[in-house]
Amino acid sequence: MAVTPGTETPPPPYLGRSVRIVGPVANVDMNQTPHPKNSRGELGKALFNWYRNTISRDPLTRVSAPNHFADQRNFLAAVVNQAPKGKINSKQVPVSDPAAMTRHIKAVAHHMGADVVTVARAHPSFLYAASTPPSGARDVYQNRSGDIYQGRTPAQMAERYPYIIVATTAWDYDKLQAHRHYIGDAAYHVSQMKAQLILKALEGYIKELGYAALRGMSNPQAAGLASGVGELGRNGLLIHRKFGARIHMPDPIMTDLPLVADQPVDNGVEDFCKICRKCAINCPTNSVPFGDKVVFNGVEKYKINWLTCYKVRPYMDAHWGSCLTCATVCPFTKPNVWWRSLTVWALSTCPIPARPVLVRALKAIDDRFWGTTRQTRVRWLGYDSGIKPGEQACTVAGCTAEHGTAHAAAPVGDLGYYAPLKENTNRFVKRDA
Amino acid sequence: MALRSSWLKAPWRRADRRSHDPYWDFFINTPPADRANTVLDVIRKAPAGNVFPTRADLHSPEVTASHVKEMARYLGADLVGITRLDEDDAGQPFAIVCAVRADADPREAAGIGGQVPVQNGLFVTFVLSAWIRELGYRASIATSLDGARLAVAAKLGTLDRSGKLVTAEYGTRIHVADVIRTDLPLTAA
Repeated sequence: MAVTPGTETPPPPYLGRSVRIVGPVANVDMNQTPHPKNSRGELGKALFNWYRNTISRDPLTRVSAPNHFADQRNFLAAVVNQAPKGKINSKQVPVSDPAAMTRHIKAVAHHMGADVVTVARAHPSFLYAASTPPSGARDVYQNRSGDIYQGRTPAQMAERYPYIIVATTAWDYDKLQAHRHYIGDAAYHVSQMKAQLILKALEGYIKELGYAALRGMSNPQAAGLASGVGELGRNGLLIHRKFGARIHMPDPIMTDLPLVADQPVDNGVEDFCKICRKCAINCPTNSVPFGDKVVFNGVEKYKINWLTCYKVRPYMDAHWGSCLTCATVCPFTKPNVWWRSLTVWALSTCPIPARPVLVRALKAIDDRFWGTTRQTRVRWLGYDSGIKPGEQACTVAGCTAEHGTAHAAAPVGDLGYYAPLKENTNRFVKRDA
Repeated sequence: MALRSSWLKAPWRRADRRSHDPYWDFFINTPPADRANTVLDVIRKAPAGNVFPTRADLHSPEVTASHVKEMARYLGADLVGITRLDEDDAGQPFAIVCAVRADADPREAAGIGGQVPVQNGLFVTFVLSAWIRELGYRASIATSLDGARLAVAAKLGTLDRSGKLVTAEYGTRIHVADVIRTDLPLTAA
């Protein structure tokens, strides 16, 4: 498979201003990432039991979260991701103009409901390490399906399948405001299921075009950075131009379909994160660094402490599944409307030396109008984030049902209560800087 | 999933862009060579999960009906209605009808692109029925029921001469997803 001229990647890959490759990068072994570690019990009993052996109290979480279901058959992503893989069509559709095909694939993904679609030129360092079967079977979901590519080196794979299609969905902004609450979980998990359905369908469509479509191959963040989905923020999340941090990074599609790769972007995240620290201040476990970037595995970036981020989860099981605080308070996470487009445009066209001044002004505006912490009260379906954690009450207008367990809560105003409160966790989770 | 701003865009732009796309017709109209490359069959054939043993503390039927509709819209349904079935032999008196916008009629466009409304409809009905089961009530996808006729009963639109649903919002460019039957206490329409 020849690479489209003009899109060869220089070694090492350029990933934008937020991340710099400074040394040799060892390929990430997917089996050493947090969720597989936990499912093997390496993070302790509390986390293992929470991850594998608990059923959520919340009906919506039981149908949308990747674990904590009562019956896996009620969880769509399990059905989709365990489906048998289709064959590559033997009648290949000829591609004379890779640019037209790139536009087509992006239009197809948007038609299926994706909010963000980009194409990255594959680089060997993006790929997950190929470990020996049977334990090293790569796949999107619980490492279940093996593949015939297991023995190839990352360099061979990146040459044979030169493009990575990153397609993803954004979380709903209004529901995300109730972070550390089941409403925020719904914003996160439902759009995640949708993204997995879209990627599965897109994978099938590429095979119907007569080209390979491989999953479970590439580190999504690296491919996202290289293809300009966004820049890597202090909170360790990709920050998109339109959606901020409220996008998923699901498993991308690696393909030999002739395409034209996108380039990394400059949204001003690099300059903003140097000054802002809102996510670090708000993180309930102090897992987001206050300090500078560090070099980890040859990559210079902000590095969060994933273990402390992970460890709070079993204790908050009764209140939420996914914390999302750092994504919610990020000043880039705003509705996708004209004033945010204008602001990001102003920031990204501003000369770099002048940006700190603009960032300080924007940060002050954000603190003034959206608050230094986010305590919006969100009501959706029967949920109400204005009810204090631990209390039960029905606040639905016009509801005449007699609720057996509910007692009336004290009237609450516009304040949302999100457990755990920062002042509680500050007592026992030390800041690292 | 994100904020829908399509009404802000010029309506002729989309059609224009598609007409310059040499592969769009393949996407919409060419049936897949291997059915396993679509997600439709695997979702259709997936067995329904268990009903959660503890029933959730529900609100009054009007409120529950509005919550079901809101959930369906959040999952991607463009129109949703609830109706009471005339003959109820299974003890599941309510039918939830979800409909999604379809630029090309899925009955004629056999390609993966033409089937995208079906895919979106299956996403809505699968998750919505699973959610009702997790609330502790029975919900099943009833493929034997006539979706268009029930959509009319749920006041989503009217039928034209060929038996297609016509709605005020999308005309005939609408795909009625599989009907969900449930015993969740709801109110019709």
